[in-house]
Amino acid sequence: MKKITGLNTILVFIFFLSFTSCKKDYGNLNNPTIEDFLNNATRDKLNNLVSGTLSGMRNNEGLYLDVTGVVGREIYRFSGADPRYVTDLLGGGSSVLNNTGFYITNPWASRYRVVKNCNVLIQAAANSTLISDAEKKGYAGFAKTIKAYDLLLNLNLTYTNGVRIEVADPENPGPIVGHTESLNAISALLNDAETDLTGATIIYPLTSGFSGFSNAAGFIKFNRALAARVDVYRKQWSNALTDLNKSFFDLNGNFNTGISHVFGTGSGDQLNPAFFPQNQTGEVRLAEPSFATNIEAGDSRIGKAVLRNSPTSSSGLTGNRDVWVYTSSTAPVPIIRNEELILIYAEANIQLNNLVNAVNAINIIRRGHNLADYSGAVTQTALINEMLKQRRYSLFFEGHRWVDMRRYSKLNELPLSRAGDDVWEAFPLPLTEN
Amino acid sequence: MRKFINRMTGLLFIVLLPCLLLAQEKIVTGKVTDANALPLPGVSVVVQQTNQGTTTDAEGKFSLSLSGKIRSPRIVISSAGFKSQTIAVGPTITDIQVKLEEDIAKLDEVVVTGLTTSIKRRNLANAVATVSNKELNGIAPAQTFDAALNGKIPGAYINANTGAPGGGISVKLRGVTSVFGNTQPLYVVDGVFLDNTATSAGLNAVTSAAAGGNASTQDNPSSRIADLRADDIENIEILKGASAAAIYGSRAAAGVVIITTKKGRQGKTKVSVSQDVGFIKVRNLLGVREFTADRAAGLSSDPATSAALRQQFLDAQSAGKIYDYEKEVYGNTGFARNTVMSITGGTDKTSLYFSAGQKDEEGIINGTGYRNTSLRLNVDHRLNDNIKIGISTNYVNSSADRGLTGNDNAGVTYGIALSSTPGFAQLFPDANGYYPNNPFSASNPLQTIALMKNNEGINRFVTGINLDAVLFKGEKSGTRLIARGGFDFYNLHTDAQFPSALQFQAVNKGTSIQGFTRNLNTNYIISLVNTFNPSDKLGLTTSAGITQETGDYNNLLNVATQVISGQSNVDQAGALTAAQFRTKFQNDGIFIQEEASIIDAITLTAGIRFDRSTNNGDPDKFYAYPKAGVSWNLTRMDFWKTTFFENLKLRAAYGQSANFPVFGSKFTSLVVSNITGFPGSLVNTQLGEAGIKPERQTEFEAGIDFSILKSRLNFEITYYQKKIFDFLLSRTLPASTGFSTQWVNAGDLRNSGIEIGIKSRPVAGRNIKWNSSVNFWLNRSKVTKLVIPPVVLGSFGVALGTFQIEEGKSATQIIGLNGAGIGVLGNQEPKFQMNTFNEITFRDRLSLRFLLHWKYKGDNINLTNLLNDLGGTSINYDEDLNKNNVPDAIDRISTIGVTATQFVEGSGYLRLREIGLYYTAVRVPVKFISGLRLGVSLNNFLTITKYSGYDPEVSNFGTGFSTGVDVDPFPASKRATFHISIEF
Repeated sequence: MKKITGLNTILVFIFFLSFTSCKKDYGNLNNPTIEDFLNNATRDKLNNLVSGTLSGMRNNEGLYLDVTGVVGREIYRFSGADPRYVTDLLGGGSSVLNNTGFYITNPWASRYRVVKNCNVLIQAAANSTLISDAEKKGYAGFAKTIKAYDLLLNLNLTYTNGVRIEVADPENPGPIVGHTESLNAISALLNDAETDLTGATIIYPLTSGFSGFSNAAGFIKFNRALAARVDVYRKQWSNALTDLNKSFFDLNGNFNTGISHVFGTGSGDQLNPAFFPQNQTGEVRLAEPSFATNIEAGDSRIGKAVLRNSPTSSSGLTGNRDVWVYTSSTAPVPIIRNEELILIYAEANIQLNNLVNAVNAINIIRRGHNLADYSGAVTQTALINEMLKQRRYSLFFEGHRWVDMRRYSKLNELPLSRAGDDVWEAFPLPLTEN
Repeated sequence: MRKFINRMTGLLFIVLLPCLLLAQEKIVTGKVTDANALPLPGVSVVVQQTNQGTTTDAEGKFSLSLSGKIRSPRIVISSAGFKSQTIAVGPTITDIQVKLEEDIAKLDEVVVTGLTTSIKRRNLANAVATVSNKELNGIAPAQTFDAALNGKIPGAYINANTGAPGGGISVKLRGVTSVFGNTQPLYVVDGVFLDNTATSAGLNAVTSAAAGGNASTQDNPSSRIADLRADDIENIEILKGASAAAIYGSRAAAGVVIITTKKGRQGKTKVSVSQDVGFIKVRNLLGVREFTADRAAGLSSDPATSAALRQQFLDAQSAGKIYDYEKEVYGNTGFARNTVMSITGGTDKTSLYFSAGQKDEEGIINGTGYRNTSLRLNVDHRLNDNIKIGISTNYVNSSADRGLTGNDNAGVTYGIALSSTPGFAQLFPDANGYYPNNPFSASNPLQTIALMKNNEGINRFVTGINLDAVLFKGEKSGTRLIARGGFDFYNLHTDAQFPSALQFQAVNKGTSIQGFTRNLNTNYIISLVNTFNPSDKLGLTTSAGITQETGDYNNLLNVATQVISGQSNVDQAGALTAAQFRTKFQNDGIFIQEEASIIDAITLTAGIRFDRSTNNGDPDKFYAYPKAGVSWNLTRMDFWKTTFFENLKLRAAYGQSANFPVFGSKFTSLVVSNITGFPGSLVNTQLGEAGIKPERQTEFEAGIDFSILKSRLNFEITYYQKKIFDFLLSRTLPASTGFSTQWVNAGDLRNSGIEIGIKSRPVAGRNIKWNSSVNFWLNRSKVTKLVIPPVVLGSFGVALGTFQIEEGKSATQIIGLNGAGIGVLGNQEPKFQMNTFNEITFRDRLSLRFLLHWKYKGDNINLTNLLNDLGGTSINYDEDLNKNNVPDAIDRISTIGVTATQFVEGSGYLRLREIGLYYTAVRVPVKFISGLRLGVSLNNFLTITKYSGYDPEVSNFGTGFSTGVDVDPFPASKRATFHISIEF
């Protein structure tokens, strides 16, 4: 009996030791948590969110350009490791787009990750007592503008399949809404942002991609430029002209004035994923052959697709011109620039039947690329074709061709390189959204 | 005077040291032999319930001084492979002659039942598998310890992930126990919990493997358990599930592998040196497409390119420069050597085992190889009759050059580059050593092999301390304090160099990836063990104690690009990206266990462990893991009269254990994402789950063990059912929430299976002995509950075949497009597995040993052939088996997106894993040599399989859930070795 008592004493001692040993919770050792931002964030923390948002906007941006470029028959993308660029995306043989394919799931997720970051920023700024109201509005206007832009990129992919607009609560996301409704919501979000930015103070640093637009007035110009793009998508032609006038649109200005993604070699930064050196093998981007065959003689934009030392082919596709839009690993990728705005101006005027203004704008573009003035018929139909052609070459590999041809129901005019290929109208919603 | 002193001394003893009063020293001597009267050295002779003991010398003789108050002590004489004997040493007995019988069924083998208690197999309630040193390392030694386990554990599904030097093995005991959590067992070496974290080398920076369809880096790192040297291991016990391992608590869900290293023995110091030399060759090559001018021209549809390709082929043909690049890349014959020197010896108080070994092997790809240098010192010391201390220390330095293989999205790994490189391509360097660019791929594999480096280097210290103190001993009871603990510390340096001259470094202009990992694991167990024998018919063992385990892992990965030519330091570069990842945990446990032995026939065990962990959502909450077991040896009952059965035991056991959530799964965090010098925070793709709980496992097993024909035929039959509740799953969220994944306790999973083991001695002649064991095992899994929609995971989507966790289905099912939609295409789990280990001994000198392993069915997702088809290089590209005048490869490619059936392929095999022939010289003419052994062995030389890839054992995604995905792996190798071992 004595033994048992002794043992019991020791056991009790052991239990005592264990239960009272100091409370341990190591926390997250690797990253800040979302709570760190939502609880009265400092200006520095909010600025980190701004930079993180700008940085995150670049995630899978290269893939977005590849995907829209391949489907829109601007480019061929050959990859030794992933056949789906030449099967699924081109509808080769019996391949179709898959709702688990990386080409939709990856860009889709990256855009919504930015949307989430914007939502965190909006809430973090609202919760903070360490900044003024004008400063709060500065953050909100930024976040809403970027959110609208990233939603628009996803809507460009899924088109009539729609996007989800209300996503602030991960447990209860809002419904998927259709194309028109989504465009309306994106437009409203941009307007909302414009309201916020009016009278706001911007205390966050923006990258060199925003140079000239890094104060509230400048940011409104960027916001309105995006609004003008959404207007033409919504066929709100006169609104487009109104918004253009509030933006940095300048008929006589530099085509490249605008806002861009920038890249760097620093730690945690990214290189331009849309850049490949010339004459690569294996991993290549080639201009779809019609790029060169359809271009007018003398058009300086032929420089966007330069001749290779030797053609290369894969799966029955061959090209001899490397895509050469982004010419270094730190070259910026435009988000929106004046050349597009001039073409939006032309488009809105065509649609509003102000054909003289439209021809004028188109000629500005043509002259800027070493071409003679437009000499075709001055009709809406002819000018729409001319406008689309100028967009094709001016905005080559910037993610527009496919969307533009779809807007004018001209996807069937895109060239098919192989028998059995298809031009897709929309990407399916990722499986996880169903 | 002298008498007086003697008397006084006696008096002093009587007065001052009453406990030594009865310690009238009595010397017992004896001799232990086998059934043929041959002396048995190294037999343990221990006084029951004490730490007093010795071992027999080379002549089988021992001398043991008995002291203590026990009037008539019982001594236990035991040796591995023999039935043990307990002898009561009466007051008059001073000399003992013992003849030990061989124990074919290993019934007297001592097997662990608790953290600090053990029992003889004849009374065991679980089917605990053991692997002896001879089985592990004595047939045809494998490169690494983990590879040596393959095919040897009934109930396990062991898969080699890669053929790369340094290994990489996935071990699943009794089915998948977790989907996203840890699926690998806990390894415990001499009481030290080893860390087995797979640390990625960061090769994603050049392969971009994670950029495409799957987020895994697919780096295929080696298992850290591979650092252990098989030569040093005495014995391995495998607790396959919670019913046996519950007392290990929350880290035991995937099973526990308990490794005991060699210990010193009392007696003359023995020095032994053994040397292995051998070679390594690729096991199997796929072959390459034979080109003709037309086929070369057909690689392009563009007329100009086509004509150029035709000319290129004709030029190569006329110059005789058509190559088999697969052979050029994988055809190296690697030289392998392994040297081990060991010293064993000891006195009655202190014994030691020391070993120093070095292994150096080249791989089947130039520039790859493995080198392991290890020092081990195990010292056991008896402070006095009551206190025993054992210390085991191990230092390991290993280095593996692993090449660049597996999936990638940049066309840089050897396999991906080969897949699109035809034999008429010209890849060899010119006179100045410059390699031409490979026009058919993003990289020239010959150049990559020559210039790159991917090294994993380890410095590791493992030290364990074992204290065993008798606190109290009496006629009927005794109490011991057993404390075990230790640490496992390593520094891992991953060093990957891709100089700017490489074809694929055109953008990055040289990449240097250097990873530094520091890991410290510590653990201790302090327990009290009380044995109480109120009568001959009842024995009670109570143990209770506390445990603690901590881990601290810190990984720093630097990726430098634009590296200055010829330099490797990360500061010699134009751009540098760094990433750091840390994990830290502390688990605390309390356990108590009771074992009762009734008339040496019925054994009852019950125990419970309480655990908490900082990895849980609530770090202060204790979770309870109970266990219970019963075994009933019918042949030991009085009513048992038949003599047909030598031994007949019924047993059943039940237990619970758990698996902690992955570190950080409770947090929603923001990761760094910078832009041109501005520091940025971007929400992580993982949504935190604050309420995350460990996944719980309950296991029930029941079995019958019996021996017949004078124990020459022994059966062990087990049925088990393992249920995993609240299994952890990284649930896929609608990406529109901004998050992709969230850890959740998603559902329940069940594994059930049967294990049958037969140990026999078919031939037992004086000149020829044949020992044979045959094992059969199978497992079936089923997801019994899933609270979230089916989750697709572990491969590249339905178009290429993927795993899917779905309620009511097998956890390892493979689904994919089947032509009419999405359906089940296969199952990764084998239908059953069998192995047989045989040892045939001629005249005790010549020994033939072999291990055959049969895996029946089970599917892989094989994408290697697809890549070769797409690259136009597959060997059967131009076959036309369906006679439609279209090359089969084109037919296969055209079904992509319609059906994935062609990618899901049976991966069953019958493999002669190991075979070895050894000769032990009985008399050696040289005087100072006391023993000599010679041998030859073949490892993995013969495999019969229908699988069309390099090897049916493969895993692009490493050791996780989804083994069996085949994407241009490092091909598996085979080895032949010559052994010589000399004892001095």
